[in-house]
Amino acid sequence: MSTPSEKPQIISHIHKSLNYTVFDSKWIPCSAKFVCMGNFARGTGVMQIYEVERGEVHLVKEIEKAKPIKCGTFGATSLQQRHIATGDFDGNLHIWNLEVPDVPVYSVKAHKEIVNCIDGVGGLGIGDGAPEIVTGSRDGTVKVWDPRQKDLPVANMEPVEGEARRDCWTVAFGHAFNDQDRCVCAGYDNGDIKLFDLRNMSLRWEKNIKNGVCCVEFDRKDISMNKLVATSLEGNFHVFDMRTQHPTKGFASVSEKAHKSTVWQVRHLPQNRDVFMTTVHLFFLYGCRCETDGDVDMGVAGTLNLLQNITLSTQPIASLDWSPDKQGLCVCSAFDQAVRVLIVTKLNRV
Amino acid sequence: MSVEMVSSLLTPGERVHGKVPVEHLDYDYIQNCSDLRYLEKIVEVLRSGEEGVYPHLTEFCEKRIEKLNPKSRALRKERAPATAADFSFDEWSQISEELKSWETEVKRTEAELREVSPLYDVEDLPPVRGSNSLISQKQNSVPSRTETKRKSALPRDYREWDKFDIEKECSKTDGSNKGKDFPVIINQCLPKINRKLDTAGLTEKERAVLASREREKGNEAFKANDYDEAVAYYTRSVSAMPTAAAYNNRAQAEIKLQLWHAALGDCERALELEPGNVKALLRRATVQKQLGNLKVAADDLGNVLREEPENASAKKMIQEVEKKLRECAQESQSKGRKILIEEVEDEELRAKPGLCVSGESAAAPAERGDMGNAQKKTAGRAEGAPQGEADTHGTRRRGKRGSLDQCRTQEAHEKKLPNGAQASGSGTADQTGRHNSSADNTAASGTGSRLDAPCGALPPPLARLKNEGNQLFKNGQFGDALEKYSQAIAGCIDAGIDSPEDLSILYSNRAACYLKDGNSADCIQDCTRALELQPFTLKPLLRRAMAYESLERYHKAYVDYKTVLQIDVGVQAAHDSIHRITKLLIEQDGPDWREKLPDIPLVPLSAQQHRHEEPRSAELAEARAARAAEGAAKRAEARFSALKEEGNNFVKKGQFQKALEKYSECLALKPEECAIYTNRALCYLKLERFAEARQDCDSTLQLEPSNKKAYYRRAMAYKGLENYLACSSDLQEVLRLDPNVQEAEQELQEVTVLLRQTLVASSPDKPRKNITIRETNDSDDEADPSNSKTRQASADDSAERASLPLRPTNAYEFGQVLNAAHSRDDVNACAELLRRVKPETLPLFLSNKLDGETFHFITRALDGHLLQEDPGLVYQHLCHLPAADRFSVVLMLLGQNERQQITHLFDHLSAVESEEFTGNDVRDLAAKYI
Repeated sequence: MSTPSEKPQIISHIHKSLNYTVFDSKWIPCSAKFVCMGNFARGTGVMQIYEVERGEVHLVKEIEKAKPIKCGTFGATSLQQRHIATGDFDGNLHIWNLEVPDVPVYSVKAHKEIVNCIDGVGGLGIGDGAPEIVTGSRDGTVKVWDPRQKDLPVANMEPVEGEARRDCWTVAFGHAFNDQDRCVCAGYDNGDIKLFDLRNMSLRWEKNIKNGVCCVEFDRKDISMNKLVATSLEGNFHVFDMRTQHPTKGFASVSEKAHKSTVWQVRHLPQNRDVFMTTVHLFFLYGCRCETDGDVDMGVAGTLNLLQNITLSTQPIASLDWSPDKQGLCVCSAFDQAVRVLIVTKLNRV
Repeated sequence: MSVEMVSSLLTPGERVHGKVPVEHLDYDYIQNCSDLRYLEKIVEVLRSGEEGVYPHLTEFCEKRIEKLNPKSRALRKERAPATAADFSFDEWSQISEELKSWETEVKRTEAELREVSPLYDVEDLPPVRGSNSLISQKQNSVPSRTETKRKSALPRDYREWDKFDIEKECSKTDGSNKGKDFPVIINQCLPKINRKLDTAGLTEKERAVLASREREKGNEAFKANDYDEAVAYYTRSVSAMPTAAAYNNRAQAEIKLQLWHAALGDCERALELEPGNVKALLRRATVQKQLGNLKVAADDLGNVLREEPENASAKKMIQEVEKKLRECAQESQSKGRKILIEEVEDEELRAKPGLCVSGESAAAPAERGDMGNAQKKTAGRAEGAPQGEADTHGTRRRGKRGSLDQCRTQEAHEKKLPNGAQASGSGTADQTGRHNSSADNTAASGTGSRLDAPCGALPPPLARLKNEGNQLFKNGQFGDALEKYSQAIAGCIDAGIDSPEDLSILYSNRAACYLKDGNSADCIQDCTRALELQPFTLKPLLRRAMAYESLERYHKAYVDYKTVLQIDVGVQAAHDSIHRITKLLIEQDGPDWREKLPDIPLVPLSAQQHRHEEPRSAELAEARAARAAEGAAKRAEARFSALKEEGNNFVKKGQFQKALEKYSECLALKPEECAIYTNRALCYLKLERFAEARQDCDSTLQLEPSNKKAYYRRAMAYKGLENYLACSSDLQEVLRLDPNVQEAEQELQEVTVLLRQTLVASSPDKPRKNITIRETNDSDDEADPSNSKTRQASADDSAERASLPLRPTNAYEFGQVLNAAHSRDDVNACAELLRRVKPETLPLFLSNKLDGETFHFITRALDGHLLQEDPGLVYQHLCHLPAADRFSVVLMLLGQNERQQITHLFDHLSAVESEEFTGNDVRDLAAKYI
């Protein structure tokens, strides 16, 4: 990293303006295509499939739905099927076959209010065990769904009656390294992070990071919990070493004030769990080494290292997704109604 | 006075306000200032342009900051994304080329994915959380825990979540291997990672994706220095799809873990898949260097350098290797004679195992029979085909060197035993016996002569002492065994016998006794002596390690275990212990615990056993042949997996006949693969060839007694054969292994109904609750007391008869006497026994050991001997017998003869006049039996 050319560079490969507000964008696994999900000005929902081809993106398909679509995931589908699970403004969870998108493969009224976030595990060969989808909503609940079970969630985490219902902004699966163990991490608007153990059906750990939690992600879903990154409203983000849990102090963490405003997203590179990217208008790449040898009382969270940062847009970048197939390729969407395909170079030299 | 001090004097407090005097915006000042924060402030002022725009000065200041702290926040600038201008032309074209080729490639991949019909295999998935509707298809599924909280999908509130004691739950998650006083929870997932991926039903493409993903996980774990975890993930990758890269990486991880031979195997597999793979060659060279095979290492390095002449690490290593080689050469020149002698010795050593086997294998069956109670599992199984098993291993792995392999299987066998002492006695015995081994074969199998079986170079009296010791040890009389061994050792030393091997064995055996008695200090002493006499022998090392561990001298225990693993990498106990100890050591010594370890001795190659590799000192020709055989074995392995795959595919397509053929071929290659047996059983079931299906299940269960799939399929086979009783017992076994298998439950209900129908009124109407029915021909020896015990009884009945109490006080003693009597068919003894046993306690003593034969035997004793003398007692016994555990089951299984016997008994009983019971009583009682 001594000379600038050795540093990873972020290239804005393709820029595509859209005529709707885009909330989420996701690569379709094993393809050069990605899905954008959003909201037409007329109040309907939209999914668009784009294909990357010779430095341009072509619209492959546009699907309009009744309700604006907030979020989507491919995490709980097989590589052959590649069905997308989406959450909309009305609290519905749908699973769509993108080849035949007229009728959902699975549909359930999951929440009373908007589904803010969604994550899947058990598909695409990521995570042992059953395919499951977790959704978090403004109604304060986090629910786990199995596409094989109609109408009812397989697990439901909500506050007691009468207690303030915090808006759940983000959910993530992790710890799915065999077919029994599995954890869900949820972040709330008041800064709470809760870690639910689905094997024991227990609340395993909670922590308040003072500012609303915008995004949480485990570095890997399908290994024994190693590292968790949580980003916050005020520009901080925290990295927790999840290997060693102290009975009272919980997990060791390191935090970094890297941005001036909200860190909307964090995504780990699928090919290297120690590299992740956070977004505002800046892009950060951090290399992190979690030392697991220091099993004294507390884990060691490692050090953060800024690899590269750029300014991409004046509007916040709301979504970010690495291509699972091509290292360094990622798609991101901003509130300036544009979707961008980025290339990050020299990631294998990090 | 430095500039900095001046600045602080000149502008006191100004820094707090964030003001920078204009005179500080100066090259000289910035050059000399070393206050980073102040410099950052200066750069801020310069950038803001408040004092004017000075691009050069700004840059200069930035450089200065970078020099002081390259990671300074002030250096973070908002940059625009890189464009083509930021790259050289080559780089840029490379990037775009890469992307283009990826685009075309991924399109092809996608098309391939789509071509395969989406065959969604629900069977492979674990059940829906909360409703366990599917039988788990995972081969190595962990026994499921009982979970009470899981079933409800009702809303849970935080209060309910909070009710859980998190710590307790967490420690539960982490398994029982953690003590309660262990405050920190480390997510140690290693033992819980499935080593094998279930890839059935996946397409080639999916498997490739999966394999590369697992490999990446392994790489990351490797980077984080979790080598064990890395190996686990690489293993998963290989199981999804064998690739050179995964083998290669696993080799590297194994090198880090110092598992040299495993690494060697992996390198060779990588090279097989990708001949000339430089990394694999390099790694193999590393391993060979570590193992002391400098020549081979040099060859590999030469190959590497031919491929890549600039490879730095290869160059470095080859220099080292050549240096060592030169040293060796010098040594051999100066001490040529000595080397020669060593070589001869070496050969002798190699010859011994082979020879010892011939002596040993003969003694084995009889001995194993005796071990019945000490090691139930292996005894019965080994009884059947120790020889055959050994042969199959031999042919598969190595082709010709059968004798050595027998030794190996034997050793592997011993390893499983907690008290390998007796086996060690026999296993390593008879160096002198080689002359008359064949004669011994017959002699040793007899009971009487066994005690006099020759023992190495020991004179007969000492040999006798040793064998007596072995015998006592087997019977669990460790104290007495200890005495015998001590006498033998003393005799040995007195007689001045110069046979280190035998003395070593004696010490080792005595150490085992000490270990059993909990006398760790003496155990260590004896092991050390044994090791002095015979360095790097497995058993004393293992025992010493255990003793050290029990004395909490973990460092030494660790070293010994590591040495054991160097000798034989397959000793599971050592692996487990090392894991355990590592944790303890980390706790004790902190992260750099490794540095505090004493040196782990390097085991010379001649002492290393059971390897992929042959001992190097062998004649070249033999080594070459062995390697060829190994290659053949590997090819067989590859062919095996290919066949299995084809079989699985056929099953999926419903072509069971074809699948059957494939599986059969598989089994010809590898007769000890459980999965194939169960798969073939499934095919047979589908083809309605139930008898064959049952046979396959039986074989599986022999190999793996807790395979619930096999139980389930055998149950289905029995159902097809209309043997509902056996069917239900198998289903119960399935449910015992995994209570969540709903299919089994359904089947059980169905079968129970059928069973009732077939049994008509003859079966007593008892609720069929927790009665586990087991087949007499079951491989599970625990359920089969008659087999092993009978054998045991026949083997040394005379001793037994004298030693066993005539008035049994517990079920075990009762069982011993009863079996002894039964084996001799001594109805009289049984009658005597029943006379001494209180009728009320009879069910207790029988516990769950009642079977048809025993029952028949008892009725014979009651009828033939007891009835005349004491009809009251007979009546009492008969009254209480139905309370025995498996009574109703046994009754159902009775044959025609046995039933007649009972009828006779009751006829006789009703004919007797007694005041203790009336004719009606007898009739009532008879109704329970008939």
